[in-house]
Amino acid sequence: MTPKNNIIIGIIIALLVVASYNVDANPVDFVEGLPNLGVVLEEMVSVEPKYIPTALWAMFETIQMAFIGTTVGVAIALPLSMFAARNLNSKYVYAPIRALLAAIRTFPSILWAILFVIMVGLGPFAGVLAIIMYTIGFVAKLQYEAIETIDSDPMDAVSSIGVSKWQLIRYVVIPESASHLLSQMLYMFDYNVRQTSILGLVGAGGIGFYIINYIKFFEYGKAAIFMVVVLVAVLVIDWVSVKIRDKYIIKSQHGMEVTAKSK
Amino acid sequence: MIQIQMTKNPSFSLISTNKIIQMNDVWTSYDSKNFALEGINMSIDRGTNYAIVGQSGSGKSTLLKLMNGMMIPSKGTIKIDYVTPNMNNKKFKKMMHSIGYIPQSLGLVRNSTVLENILIGSLPRLNKIQSLFKKFPEPEIQEAKKIISQVGLSGKEDRKAYMLSGGEKRRVAIARALMQKPTILLADEIVSELDHVTAREIMDLIADAQKLMNLTAIMVHHDMQLALEYANRVAVIKEGQKILEIGVEGETIVDFQTGDMSTEEIMEMYADDTQK
Repeated sequence: MTPKNNIIIGIIIALLVVASYNVDANPVDFVEGLPNLGVVLEEMVSVEPKYIPTALWAMFETIQMAFIGTTVGVAIALPLSMFAARNLNSKYVYAPIRALLAAIRTFPSILWAILFVIMVGLGPFAGVLAIIMYTIGFVAKLQYEAIETIDSDPMDAVSSIGVSKWQLIRYVVIPESASHLLSQMLYMFDYNVRQTSILGLVGAGGIGFYIINYIKFFEYGKAAIFMVVVLVAVLVIDWVSVKIRDKYIIKSQHGMEVTAKSK
Repeated sequence: MIQIQMTKNPSFSLISTNKIIQMNDVWTSYDSKNFALEGINMSIDRGTNYAIVGQSGSGKSTLLKLMNGMMIPSKGTIKIDYVTPNMNNKKFKKMMHSIGYIPQSLGLVRNSTVLENILIGSLPRLNKIQSLFKKFPEPEIQEAKKIISQVGLSGKEDRKAYMLSGGEKRRVAIARALMQKPTILLADEIVSELDHVTAREIMDLIADAQKLMNLTAIMVHHDMQLALEYANRVAVIKEGQKILEIGVEGETIVDFQTGDMSTEEIMEMYADDTQK
């Protein structure tokens, strides 16, 4: 450890202390607050079981919102990603599209949700619109990056036949990048379920709407039950997407090896 | 092994006026200083099985890319059926539909099936709606199936390209090119990574198709023996220059560039190249 390193570590610790003091982040408060968790747990146990169907229904609504948002978002993102890929377009096409996508990504989904609540009013539709915007920004970016990394050999071989650009996209680019797209859709759906769960905080529907209202009325037990439902749902979706990934994506990426092993 | 007899007065005619490819003093460079090809002259008759032989980096793949318009020469002229190959030239773009090109990497779409890969060859004949919805007309599908059995892939139509063996992948690439109903077939080292038996099967396949469809086949090899066995004309490229061009008929080899080379020199070069 050189003296220079010591100074750097010293500075970081000093900054940590100053910043914690400024934002009032006191570890003592954390420890003192731990017993409050016990209170929440106690309240959870005493929640009447009749709330569980409501929680499940709210979660189902959330999942449906995420599903619509992901599907429509990907459907819009896919053509945009084709225009944004450098290996398919001239600078005059991809540069403005990329700028637009970067602008869309600047807003986190909760800000989009606030904007759409103002536009279309309270409720799940505002949440769906927010998820669509967020999905467009991210999937289009991930997808144009995937398109740019696909093997240039089939592109060259097929374009040497003299096919049109759209035929090239339909018959080479889409099949070659399909596994990336599936992977991104799964990730995005997973992510959107979690995002949609909190969009209710700004009135954009879903299970978050219940959670924030229970918290407002100090019904922590009920809020906690609803949060546990979110946790379980996210774990299940994660598990399912791992299975789908194993079946369709890993296999197509490692083709021969997996086929050989499975024999 | 073919016995080689050299003669300066060919008794048979390998020269005709029916030229499909003409290159005149062609130079190409990837940067401004180094030339990949230096002053290539070449003329290829319709229906010829033409082989271009050379070591790696000799510029032989570049020659093929010039012929299908993927590269343009920095100097000199090329005419394919009297049209200058250039992807931006509308007339040539139409001609590209009938130039089958098989790159060394084959360029198959890994995640598509054998049938889908082969049908790509018919894309120029489809209209926009058909190609958008993958609605291939029935005659095209029948044609593809006919070609599939011709190249010996029957029963493997629905297999994904990544699941195929090296030899099978080459058959798919050939079938895709044949699906174009080509007049010219360009193949870059298509058998170089295969064992002898499979290599000959693939070469026989191309030779059969060539005769059947009256194709002009231009194939790049690094194996001189294979070139002599299958081609009726062989050009040897070394460091971007054509150092030798011979015609082969049966067991007789005729040299076309003997102007300033002796028979011994040619034999030496041939020996040099076969050792590689």
